[in-house]
Formats: sequence, structure tokens, C-alpha cells
Amino acid sequence: MGMILLDRLRFSYSEGLKPVLDGLSCSFDSSGITVLTGASGCGKSTLLYIAAGLYPENAGSLLEGRVLLEGRDLSELAPPERCRLAGMMFQNPELQFCMDTVRNELLFCMENIAVPKEEMEERLHHALSFCGIEELEQRTLLSLSGGEKQKAALACLVAIDPKWLLLDEPFANIDDDSARAIASAIGRLHREKGVGVLAVDHRLDNWIGIADSICVMEDGKILEERLDASHLEAERLESRGIIAPGGSYSPSLEPLEAGETVLELEELTVRRGHQLILNGISASFRRGMIYAIIGESGAGKSTLFGTLSGIFPYEGKAILEGRNMKHLRRSDIGRIGFITQNPQDQFVGGTVREEILASLRREAEAESKSEEILRSIKLWRYRDVSPYLLSQGQQRRLGTAALIAYDCHCLICDEPTYAQDRRNTMAIMDSLCRQAREKRIALIFSTHDRQLARDYADMILGIKEGKLYEIPESSL
Amino acid sequence: MRSLNPACKFLSLLAVTMILASIRDPFWNLSAFAISMLLILASGVKPKTLLLLLVPVFLAAIGMFFTGYRFTAESAMPVRPDAFLIAGNSHIMNGITQLSRVLAYAGIGYLFALTTDRIIMVRSFQKQLHLPQVFAYGLLAAWGIFPHMALEYRRTKAAFRARGIKVFPISPSLLAPLLVKSVRWSEELSIAMESKGFSAKAERTDAMPIQIHKRDVAFTVLCCLILPATAILTH
Repeated sequence: MGMILLDRLRFSYSEGLKPVLDGLSCSFDSSGITVLTGASGCGKSTLLYIAAGLYPENAGSLLEGRVLLEGRDLSELAPPERCRLAGMMFQNPELQFCMDTVRNELLFCMENIAVPKEEMEERLHHALSFCGIEELEQRTLLSLSGGEKQKAALACLVAIDPKWLLLDEPFANIDDDSARAIASAIGRLHREKGVGVLAVDHRLDNWIGIADSICVMEDGKILEERLDASHLEAERLESRGIIAPGGSYSPSLEPLEAGETVLELEELTVRRGHQLILNGISASFRRGMIYAIIGESGAGKSTLFGTLSGIFPYEGKAILEGRNMKHLRRSDIGRIGFITQNPQDQFVGGTVREEILASLRREAEAESKSEEILRSIKLWRYRDVSPYLLSQGQQRRLGTAALIAYDCHCLICDEPTYAQDRRNTMAIMDSLCRQAREKRIALIFSTHDRQLARDYADMILGIKEGKLYEIPESSL
Repeated sequence: MRSLNPACKFLSLLAVTMILASIRDPFWNLSAFAISMLLILASGVKPKTLLLLLVPVFLAAIGMFFTGYRFTAESAMPVRPDAFLIAGNSHIMNGITQLSRVLAYAGIGYLFALTTDRIIMVRSFQKQLHLPQVFAYGLLAAWGIFPHMALEYRRTKAAFRARGIKVFPISPSLLAPLLVKSVRWSEELSIAMESKGFSAKAERTDAMPIQIHKRDVAFTVLCCLILPATAILTH
């Protein structure tokens, strides 16, 4: 039985900063699938990167302790040997490929570990069929959806055939169906080939029936008690900031008081290249209402939002408060705000305070208002720091606050709770929805979390085959 | 052209470019351009795509024609507007020579770019020209980032517009976030490559060994020996 042993780990990203892991000792054995969960920023991903031997070589410094995988010290091994012991799957499917097509990427992986040429074809086809993506062999990686990219990443790992699979939020960016398909392939890999699996995930629902135990991490330490994945108690998980499978977010929203229509789409059609993504969408959105848009990866949610923010050209009409969005006046700009999946995409200021001031620049007493906002989101102490240096959770809070500070009437949020734990998810959604009700903003958000849509939205819309349609809550 | 070994093709076309640089005869330049276009079309490139790609080349060529036309060796300095239309044969010849050079170099460049698969090119450069593998695969990975860069540029521009802030296409406030992101991306990408076992030093196997065939040798000989010999003899 193989084992990952972490012994008295002290790890810090920078000198003078508090160590992310401080004296952490634990072990994982390959007899079961272990999911490591916990609040955002508690050090889960850091632990995984250290276990894979990628840290401290690529970031931070290991102040003390050692990591043994299958009894070997990874820091002493070269990448080809290391990846035969531990293969890693990353959160962001966009940035884990080097070649152009799925086939070439798989060949690249096998060449790295010096697989003989005669064995490559057989291994390649086995990996593709294991992940059920034989039809993607010749496809370019750029043309794949998020779910397909994660399946291709898993196929790379199957081709490398490591002793351990280390997964960093592998389902954060993909829809539930793709997530379940990948989780079940990982389960088969463990059962059939005895591959040890250690996964970091905020959401446990995709692991039900697949994982054996759940480890909870808090402030750089792993709690001794391991939870049995087949008997998860919602209260226990929620008290630790973890999203319990099927658990409600129980938001306390003010009653709905729908106002006039703020955004209207008429026969909106979007093509990307030769592909028709949105096909004649018509919908209207009213002030004060909260709309959730759900759909599979690649269905067109981000394309719809990108189109409304002016990134993609479109046919048809998008009318904002009676004015065609193609001909908005300068004074109308900002009436529609966008919160992007990655908060870094929306930063315009050099410092945290400038980020807020950019939204308030037309207002009197902008300085004092910016202080008030930054104090309310607990970022006042970082006011002179670059927004890029904040943690992901802090960046998201700043991005949301900066846009809400602007006088927008319609706020569009592309997966605002992406890769967030339960506490942060609720904090972000509560804040957005409260502001939507108070300021009578039409809030439109996309999510893969159906429970989140059910709990927070007044209306749930689905995108499928280029069409936008209303989904009754009961059918979710 | 597509089946030629990229390293041989690169060296051969480079040799042709060097030879053309030493000959001041528009006939050879225009011939090189015409042959390049024919070979590109014969390789299956759509005429419309080629025409679109040639638009900036034609603009540059016209610019070079007028530069050559006006600034011959015997031109008076400083240039006077009223003397612009006074043209002799030498003026026109000089203009055509400059124009044909732009066409020849662009044609040869396109011939290489449009008929070469980038993965096979990198593999061939690595094998035949001993390009270091960290450079070769780093180049390929960076290539994959370009489409993301274009999208990120539009996203960043949209973010500024959504906050009512006007930015110029290459304004520093627009480029700074892109710079931060590209550094972050390259870090993530290099970690991903390392996690898949890529190392600058380790020995790798080769799934598609790129060989040099007789046709590659014949093409190299044609470009490096026969063409220059003919050009020198007939010049």
C-alpha cells in the first residue's frame, strides 16, 4: 500500500509572512480516495502542490519538514520520475496544455517519461477510451469545452500512469454532468489500477459514492478526525464552512418587488468562428429581480455575458433602458456592470483604493466613501496594495464592491462563487442579492451550483443548444 | 511543400532570401514571389486567405516603390514636391526593384509559414538544428497562450468601458493587467508542463521522429546551388 507522508511541514510563500502550513503532519494511504476540504485560503492547494513536488521548487520556501511519497523524497527526483509517482490535475483547464491537439498533448506526456515509441499508440488509445473521449483525439485543445479539457487532462494522467493522482479543485470550472463523469473515471482508475487519489475540493457532492474519506483542513492544520464519505452530516460540515451535499444556503432575502424592465434581448445571435453559440435569444430582465443562468460547460453562458460586455459581436438587439447597447451614450456606460469569473479581469486601478475610487470618481466625497466601502469589506488595511496581491477571496470582494459602488442598474456576474467555500459563497451572494434588492438592480448570475440558483434566484434560466429558456424551480 | 522537412525548408528558403538580397534584379524577385504564390496555392491554402494576408504586403510594396522611385542615387536633395513627378527610367526601375524585394521576402516568408505545421517545425528544429528542448516546447506553450491574450485584451478593455473609463488601444493602464496575467499564465503553464514530466535536461523519446528524405535534399540543392548558379550566370 502506497503512502504520502507529510512530516512537520512549515511552508511560507514569502519571508516575513505567516507560514501557510505550520508544523503540519499527516499521511494519506492509497487504499482509498481521500478528499481534502476546508475554507478558502486554509492551505489545501499549497499542501497538494508540496505533495506533488511542485513547491517549493516553483514558489515559496519549505522552512521545515519533509514530504515522502511512496517512501521517496520528491525534491530529490527529476520531473519525469516525479510525475510517475504523482500526477497532478489543476483547477484551471485553460492553462495546463503545451501542444495543439489532444493527441499531441498525450504524446508529449509520454515522450517526457520516455515511453518507447512502439508502446505509445496503445497507451494513447487506452487513455482516450478510459476517459471516453476517443472522438476528441484529433481535436484542437482550444476548441474543447472546460469539461472536455479536464477529461483530456485526466487522459494525460492515465497515459503517464502515476501511482498517485493529486487533484486541485478539478470540477471548479465545469458543469455537474461532466464533473460526475470525470469523478467516476477517477473512481475506476483507483479501483482498477490501484492509483491513490488525493483531491482538494470545496464541493463534496460530486464525490458521493466515490470518495472513501473526507479530511477537513483549518488554518494550515488537518483535523485529526476523518469523516466517512458515506455518512456526511450537513450540520458538521456547514459549521466548518464546507458546502454540504444537497444542503441549502438558506439566504434571508428581502421580498421581491420587481420594477421596470432594464435589459431586453431581442433575437440575440452570436457566432464564434463558424460556430453558432447563441441562436436568437429573447428575454427581458427587470430591476430588483435576481436571475440565475445555468447550463453545461460550453453552452454559452460566458459567451452571453461576454457579448453584453461588448467582447463578442452579435446580431439582433440588446436594449438597456430603452437604448440600443450598440449606441450607448457615455453617460449610460456603467449602467450595466460586469463581475467576471476571474476578479483580476476587471481591475482598473493600481491600488485597492484606486479600484474603488474609479467607480466613485463622479461623486462628491469620493475619498470618504471609498474608505467606508473598504472598511465594510475588510480591505481598508490593504488600501495601498496592488489588487493583484490580494488573495482570491479578497479580490472577489473588492471586484464586487467596486462595481456596486458604481451606479449600475443591471449587474451581470459570471460565476461569482467560482471555487469559493460555503462561507465565502454565502457572503458573496448575500452581499450581491442584498444590494440588488436595496438598489433595485437587475442581478443576473451564472452558476454550476443548482442549489445556489434555487436558493438565491427569483427566476432560473437555462441555456441549451443556443437557446435561453426559463426552468421551473420544481424541475431542478 | 507541406511534406518537406521544416529544417531543410527553412535553411533553403533562408539561402534563397540571402541570394536575392545580393542581386539587384526585379526579375528574380518577382519570379521568387510568383513561384512562392503558386506553391502556396498548390499546398491547399485558400486564395481568399492568401489575398487577405497579402493586403499589408501590397501596401508596404507600394510604399517601397515610391520610396525607391523618388530616392534614386541621382535624386536631388532635399526632396522638392514639384520634382516628385519628374521620372526617368532609372526612377521607375529603382521603385520596381524596391517593390519586388518586399514581395519576394514576404512571399518566401508566407511560403514557409503557410506550408509548415508548427509542431513538426519545432520537432524538426530540435532534431536537425539542435534547438534546446526547453526553448522549443516553451515556444509551443507560449503559442497556445496567444488566443487567450487576444481575448484577455478585449476583456480588460470591456472592464474599463464598464466603469466609464476611456482607454487607448495601447494605453499602459490597459497593458499592465495583461502583463500581470501573462506572467501568471506562464508560471502556471510551466508548473503544468513540469507536472507532466517535462524537463529541460532529461532524455525524451520521440513519437514522430522527423527524418530527412531525398526530396528534402533535392529541394535544398535546388535552392542553395542550382538557383543561385543560374542567377549568377544569367545576370
